[in-house]
Amino acid sequence: MSIQTSEKSSNRGQTFMRTLRQDHAGLSRIMREIDTQAHRLAEDSEGARAILVDAFRYLLRYHHAFHHPREDRLFARIRARDEALDQTLQQLSHEHETGEQETRRLAEDLARASNKELVGECGAELVDRINDYLRHTRTHMRHEETVFYSRAEQVLSDEDWLDIIADDGPDDPITDIRTMRASYPALARSLDEPTSHLGLHRPEHSSSHELRLQMLALTDLYGGLMHEAIDLTRTHFQRLKSVRDPVSLMRTAGTIYADNLRFAGQCVTRPSRWAINTGAGLIVGWLKPYMKQ
Amino acid sequence: MVSWQTRTAKLLSRLTIRQSLKRELSVADMRERIQAMERFFPNVPDDIRIEHEPGLNHCDAEWLTPGAGPTERVILHLPGGAFMTRFMRAERLLLARMCRATNARGRLVFYRLAPENPYPAGLDDCLEAYQQILDLGTPPEHLVISGMSAGGCLALAVLLKARDLGLPMPAGALLMSPAADMTEESTDGSRVSNAARDAVLSLERGDDIRRLYLGEHIELANHPYISPVLADYTGLPPLFFQVSGSEILLDDSHRCAQRARACGVSAEVEVWDRMPHGWQALSFAPESGRAIARLADFIRERCP
Repeated sequence: MSIQTSEKSSNRGQTFMRTLRQDHAGLSRIMREIDTQAHRLAEDSEGARAILVDAFRYLLRYHHAFHHPREDRLFARIRARDEALDQTLQQLSHEHETGEQETRRLAEDLARASNKELVGECGAELVDRINDYLRHTRTHMRHEETVFYSRAEQVLSDEDWLDIIADDGPDDPITDIRTMRASYPALARSLDEPTSHLGLHRPEHSSSHELRLQMLALTDLYGGLMHEAIDLTRTHFQRLKSVRDPVSLMRTAGTIYADNLRFAGQCVTRPSRWAINTGAGLIVGWLKPYMKQ
Repeated sequence: MVSWQTRTAKLLSRLTIRQSLKRELSVADMRERIQAMERFFPNVPDDIRIEHEPGLNHCDAEWLTPGAGPTERVILHLPGGAFMTRFMRAERLLLARMCRATNARGRLVFYRLAPENPYPAGLDDCLEAYQQILDLGTPPEHLVISGMSAGGCLALAVLLKARDLGLPMPAGALLMSPAADMTEESTDGSRVSNAARDAVLSLERGDDIRRLYLGEHIELANHPYISPVLADYTGLPPLFFQVSGSEILLDDSHRCAQRARACGVSAEVEVWDRMPHGWQALSFAPESGRAIARLADFIRERCP
């Protein structure tokens, strides 16, 4: 009989831990969405704001209302069993509190801000705050995984699990798309999108697009020439290193001269057309009197 | 806004890697140049432990373990490099950062390269690594496969072949700009429209890469393990693509995702604006950190 009860409680423990992990999975999906929308605020203030407000409300109504209290109950039990983790778990519980406050502040600030305040410097500050929030939340999740995920099932007894599970809340609504659509319509629509665009700028003017393409083509051209020049120089050095006597020096100088002429497929030391024409003109002019005679 | 670090990297890539791909360099020269460029990538951080055992039969492979209590998650990562070469340090650092962000162990497979070992040698090595992870007792629901560029193509091929062999599927796949179309018809769409904008890749060597990778099996270019854009994705796990809007491989991701969705497989595509191919590996650029954080979110989502 006692073995059966113990198995039941350890199953409960596993189920509870699975729920926590699933919560983190849902939270990670939302983190990704918040990141996407935060960077769209300056371009599509209204659309991005609606999704962000939905996302922060969802976090307040589920993660801060049910998920974190669940974890806090678990932390309290682990701290009672394993004093070594006391300080770390206290820190994690403290992060839950500060995280909730920041979520609330962000949700309120976003809902209150005018469209003008979502762009420019004000908007950039808000995006920075959201980025900080994302960084802290991700680090917090990672920390939780390393600190107590594996420890919980090792140190907790059947009684602990029964106590922790006693007043458990609802499941994460993110697993039910209908609930999400009803409660957080903008967020649900965005989560359904199969393609997301990150860091998109406003469409470029066609002339600046053309100019950019020309600049890229020039970079390619000069990049190619630079490679040719480097290769040529390297070959010249190798040739010069192999010079042993005056004859081979003369031969090498000739080869280097010929290679330089062919550099990049064109004769770079060839006199330009105007020089040839002018030279020819001068010679013809000088010869003219003699030719007449 | 694109960061100055990424802009600089794009310019340098355009002047170095792209030029190497445009010119008729031998494979040996290309490898030598890439090795020289690799010096600019830092080593993996000290808190990441690297082990080699258990190894694979035909190629080198590494286990990367983050110092802070790893979870049961494992990331099998297949590096890119046009099937002929690879950025070892950059890919190792990329995997280390992914492992750290997800508390996962990483498996980096230096599969055999063409032209010395043409298809299917590389794919066989990757599949062996996949099978080994399962044999070591990792539950498939804790395993994620990832790949960049040519590695992305191999990651898709491993999934398809594992499914065909009846092996269990992993929890998900991360595909960073997979080169998923090796067919001869792969010369339209983004391969043309982005040819000038792509700061890293160039179409000029497309035929060479195909010929060297396939060796005597050139007629297999339309096979789904070689061109996964043509595959049937039924039964595959959720796929997560990250690709830049300005690279020639953009359409490969879109086409794979479309086919996957048509087969009832969840497939998300993230299109990043003005990033160079493989920007996730640029550890000094803020966009790389953001991309890895998002990849980690996906891993946590699929391997809770």
